[in-house]
Amino acid sequence: MGKKELKVAFLLALRSLQRGSRSSVLLTIVIIALCFTNMVFLPGLFNGIGEGIITQIVDYEVGNVLVSPKTGEQYVTDLDATLDLINGMPGVERATPHLSKGATLKYRQRILGVSVKAIKPTDEKFVSPLYKKMIAGSYLGESDTGEVIIGKPVAGDPTIKQEDEFQPSLGGVRVGDSITIEYANGYKKDYRVKGIYYTGWSSSDNTVYVTWSDMELVEGKPLSYAEYITVRAKPGYSEKFIKDELQQYGVAETVQTTGDLLSKVMGSILQSFDIINMVSLIVGIVITTVVLFIVITIKTINSRRQIGILRAIGVDKEVIMHTYGMQVVIMAVLGIFFGALLTAGISLYMTAHPIVTPEWSAYLLLTPEDYIMNSLILFLASIVAGYVPAWQVSREDIQSAMRA
Amino acid sequence: MIEITDLHKIYRMGDVEVKALDGVTLTIEKGEFLGIVGASGSGKSTLLHMLGLLDQPNSGKIVIDGLDTATLTDYEQTMFRLYKLGYVFQDYALVPDLTVMENVSLPAMLRKDRTDEQVKKDSFSILQKIGLCDRKDHLPRELSGGQQQRVSIARAMVNRPDILFADEPCANLDTENSRMVLDLFDEINHSMHQTIIMVSHEDWHREYFHRIVRLRDGKVVSDERNVPHEA
Repeated sequence: MGKKELKVAFLLALRSLQRGSRSSVLLTIVIIALCFTNMVFLPGLFNGIGEGIITQIVDYEVGNVLVSPKTGEQYVTDLDATLDLINGMPGVERATPHLSKGATLKYRQRILGVSVKAIKPTDEKFVSPLYKKMIAGSYLGESDTGEVIIGKPVAGDPTIKQEDEFQPSLGGVRVGDSITIEYANGYKKDYRVKGIYYTGWSSSDNTVYVTWSDMELVEGKPLSYAEYITVRAKPGYSEKFIKDELQQYGVAETVQTTGDLLSKVMGSILQSFDIINMVSLIVGIVITTVVLFIVITIKTINSRRQIGILRAIGVDKEVIMHTYGMQVVIMAVLGIFFGALLTAGISLYMTAHPIVTPEWSAYLLLTPEDYIMNSLILFLASIVAGYVPAWQVSREDIQSAMRA
Repeated sequence: MIEITDLHKIYRMGDVEVKALDGVTLTIEKGEFLGIVGASGSGKSTLLHMLGLLDQPNSGKIVIDGLDTATLTDYEQTMFRLYKLGYVFQDYALVPDLTVMENVSLPAMLRKDRTDEQVKKDSFSILQKIGLCDRKDHLPRELSGGQQQRVSIARAMVNRPDILFADEPCANLDTENSRMVLDLFDEINHSMHQTIIMVSHEDWHREYFHRIVRLRDGKVVSDERNVPHEA
């Protein structure tokens, strides 16, 4: 195939698309665009769900690295020294302790069992974006006592009747209201609600946060121990690096990266997502290939006589094959382009309006690699689907083609 | 010169064998305007297709300018058709999505010995000759049958073929347009010494032919010289 032959093939392909049945061309492009969207949407959604859950686990549960008590022990002890050690290490943005206590909340006639978590508000800001999630009032100050922040599901909605609630709540607590917390050790105290937050992460939203100082009052002694310490890595430092460092520097507690923890909890979920993604991808490719194959087969069957004439006047069968192949290539490029635009639009919309469930929230996560890989796969499938019928028809003998 | 020796072509339709050509032997000289006539089913179109390398005989030999066409590969036959032969079909057979100019240029665009400029010049020149320059940007469906057939002749002639084949080119035309097409063939034959082989079933077309070969049941039943009318 020389340059001249390719030029003629391209001219015939282009003119056929420009001046042939526009509705058929448009329909084919729309089908390819939708197939592309189908191929990237589900995996993108699963990636978004997975990424969303991981981000929320990091943000509100374990940080990048979790330091928990040694096996057989209940608490991380010698807290100040441990925190100083961790905070002094390269790559550590901040380490902050957590201590949870079971408690009962009372507000007017409502009683609710929750977990009350003590935090060091200033350090917590470096590790968790909780302070950015206040929907009413304000975040805790370091020296606050007698004040709490509570999650939106705990505060409840005064317009919803108790029997209609999705989960039990305090029935509409507002900032400034006083609630009573009775801890498992019998300590009981009235707290002013300083703020109400909403993170979208169920476990965090169903927690009540108090300051470390307040929890010392509950315990009746200075707290030199914690249930666990969450560590945030500085940008550019891997979780593995921090973990290795902590172990090298002699942190005796159990040190686990988010990856370590997720591989136990999320491993099978992510594996299931991968299987669904693969099935969706294969189905998408098969549908696209079959549709394009049918479209081009119909087109070539309808053009058999013209193909015969072209061959009769000296157009080589390779040129004829490329004529139909190029039509598919042009339609595939346009279809993939519009599919990518459509997906980008959906992605933007879902970033602004993520899927929110009571447990987690997620958006569509698509990377440039996803776009490139799926475009290439669809493009190759289109070429196969276009060239096979084109190859078949171009090999038909002239007389049979002309008699069609 | 075309030498045809003992040409046979049999079509099989189920269990029935139809002898489309049954031992045709002919010699056609350069510059002849040859008419192949005969009743429907006599084998005239089959003979034209064999000579135009659009179909293969079961036996016999076709030698064009000393070249035995049976020795050509499929690609060589395609190139032979492109460089040496021109075709005009009954139903014009233009590419509906190409303009008049593009249709005429198409065979020339594939020739390796023509530049884009030459293709444009040759196509324009032949369109001038058939009087359709003002329609060069029109699509075939925007032309009358006679105009479409003239475009088809222009496409066949753009590569200046050695032999022009015409398969009942006037079958879909009224008498006025038929005469216009035949006059064009006559002019091409005279001015360019172009060999033309035309299949026809109309008696009055014989006034244009130099020689008339009549077929019946796949056999040559008469081969006579004819004195064409003066155009």
